[in-house]
Amino acid sequence: MTSGAFQERLREAWAEIRENLGRAVLQGLGVILGVASVLGGFSISDSMRRQSDQLYVKLGGLDKLNVNPDAVVKDGQATAMATANLGLRGADAASGQDLDPGAVAGVSVRRFARARVRSPFADQDRQVTGIGADFIPMEGYAVVTGRGFSATDLQSGSPVALLGEEASNTFFPAGQPEGRVVTVGGIPVTVVGTFQERVFRFREGQGNIFAWRNRIIALPAAFVQRRLQGDPYLRMDRVTFRVPQMGGLQAFSRELTTLLRANHRLQTDFRLDDVATRFKKRESQGRVYDLIFLLSGVLALLGGGIVNVNIQMASLKERVREVGVKMAIGASGREVFLGFMTEALLLTVLGAALGLAAGVVFSWVITASLGVPLHMQALSFVWAFLLAGVFGFAFALYPAWKASRLSPMEALRYE
Amino acid sequence: MSHVIQTRAITKVFGANGTAVHALRGIDLQVDRGEFIALIGPSGSGKSTLMAILGCLDRPSQGVYELDGEPVEGLSGADLARIRNTKIGFVFQAYNLLPKASVVRNVELPMLYAGVPRKERRQRALELLEKVGLAEKALKLPGELSGGQKQRVSIARSLANRPAILLADEPTGALDSHTGAEILALFQELNAQGNTVILVTHDLGIAALARRQVELRDGLIAHEHLDGVRP
Repeated sequence: MTSGAFQERLREAWAEIRENLGRAVLQGLGVILGVASVLGGFSISDSMRRQSDQLYVKLGGLDKLNVNPDAVVKDGQATAMATANLGLRGADAASGQDLDPGAVAGVSVRRFARARVRSPFADQDRQVTGIGADFIPMEGYAVVTGRGFSATDLQSGSPVALLGEEASNTFFPAGQPEGRVVTVGGIPVTVVGTFQERVFRFREGQGNIFAWRNRIIALPAAFVQRRLQGDPYLRMDRVTFRVPQMGGLQAFSRELTTLLRANHRLQTDFRLDDVATRFKKRESQGRVYDLIFLLSGVLALLGGGIVNVNIQMASLKERVREVGVKMAIGASGREVFLGFMTEALLLTVLGAALGLAAGVVFSWVITASLGVPLHMQALSFVWAFLLAGVFGFAFALYPAWKASRLSPMEALRYE
Repeated sequence: MSHVIQTRAITKVFGANGTAVHALRGIDLQVDRGEFIALIGPSGSGKSTLMAILGCLDRPSQGVYELDGEPVEGLSGADLARIRNTKIGFVFQAYNLLPKASVVRNVELPMLYAGVPRKERRQRALELLEKVGLAEKALKLPGELSGGQKQRVSIARSLANRPAILLADEPTGALDSHTGAEILALFQELNAQGNTVILVTHDLGIAALARRQVELRDGLIAHEHLDGVRP
């Protein structure tokens, strides 16, 4: 057999499909639905994942390790050792960075306080955030007008402030807050700049889940600790280390635990929160969804395949005479088998192509109704197509084999 | 004179020992190239079974069958398919055309299995349709044709690969007498052009058209009758 024979068979199969369009459409339907649901499932889960990936990027990245103060004793009396501890301090941040200067790309510290904030336009009880040097880039903020804090500001705790978009509008509704003075807890503070507005919506039309970040009133951490709180120990509410190498984060967090325990008189009065671990958990959850979608697609293909075999077997009865005639005029069993297989494969390919188109429409409709931008990967198309091919082939085998085994004599007499 | 068909002591038994049916009990038949033979006999005489064996649709239980100089017993299913394809042209009572394929595609089909290139196939199919007087019906479906026309299509199909023998099983059984006569005339014409024709019938009037009549009864050749002189 030459390669021309395959072309011939393909042409023949196409003629058969056209001659038996109703049956072909029914057979193709299973493939179309299966492929559409595999592709649709993958695309929807891809789109959702991409959406939340963007959230993480906007949060300032995943390569972060948070250290928070934690109570040593949950119930009952704290030990003398625990009470004597000073909690999480600026010194912890500094020694953490010294632990592995190559691995740590940044340290962000935070100290919160509540204070009365007053401007000529507003007078409110607000949370203020004392920040360190790397806070702004690490938490995804950007200074959009004026300037950031200088090293001197941070070191000496200068009375300077940066305002979030909401805070700026509240305290200076007329705009131009730079250079103006607000009082924080009665202490005059100069506004040196404002942050860019931060917006993130899971779905279009939903609320901005970053709205609270626009309420920030940032001051140097040292200012909050010394001037507002009178805390000579420079205690922190959170220290965040950025460790860019994903693999390095685990080793770093082990070393950091040892170091901090040593600094804290062997009390574990802090808690490490690894953002990447949270991310990985979410990833594996995403993988579960992928599996569920894949499974439902496979089930659809399986159902389609079984329906297909049924149609093939039912139509085989109708086709027995036809096969008998073909055999009588010279088709061998092999020829009949290959004819059936070619027809099934052609139907699978055509059905898969239509299914891919249906899958695109399907995922577009679903994601549009969820308000999530559609994101499709080439790999999803390949997967859906391959699965359809495998199922189309597997489920074509039995009817084709059955047809090829007919005896021409009996097939001709079949009524 | 070469024999296009030669059988020796062909038997055919259906079923197992206890309920065995002996359809053929030892057939010795020789057919020369260019002959027109009628196989006659009442139903149950074994003529359909013999026809199936001669057409390589079935195998004899015992005996030797040589078709066009080639021994047939022991051949694989694929080889039998090849023989049916190239050496035998079937014409059935029920026409057995593919109902959803066009007339010309029906005629092309045996050539497709023989591996004849597409253009050549189409051209020869059209020639054959011309020969049976149906060139203008080439693109119609069999269902759109009358019974006589369908039978003409199936005759065109049987000639596709220039077979050694034409096997016609009650080709006029489903036709009215006028149309039947036309079909038989076509067979006579084909025979006159050199085709070997074997006609299976139970109608003695039709059988009379053949030069040689072979009568089967109870699985044996009961009687042979020769009209005129053998060519």
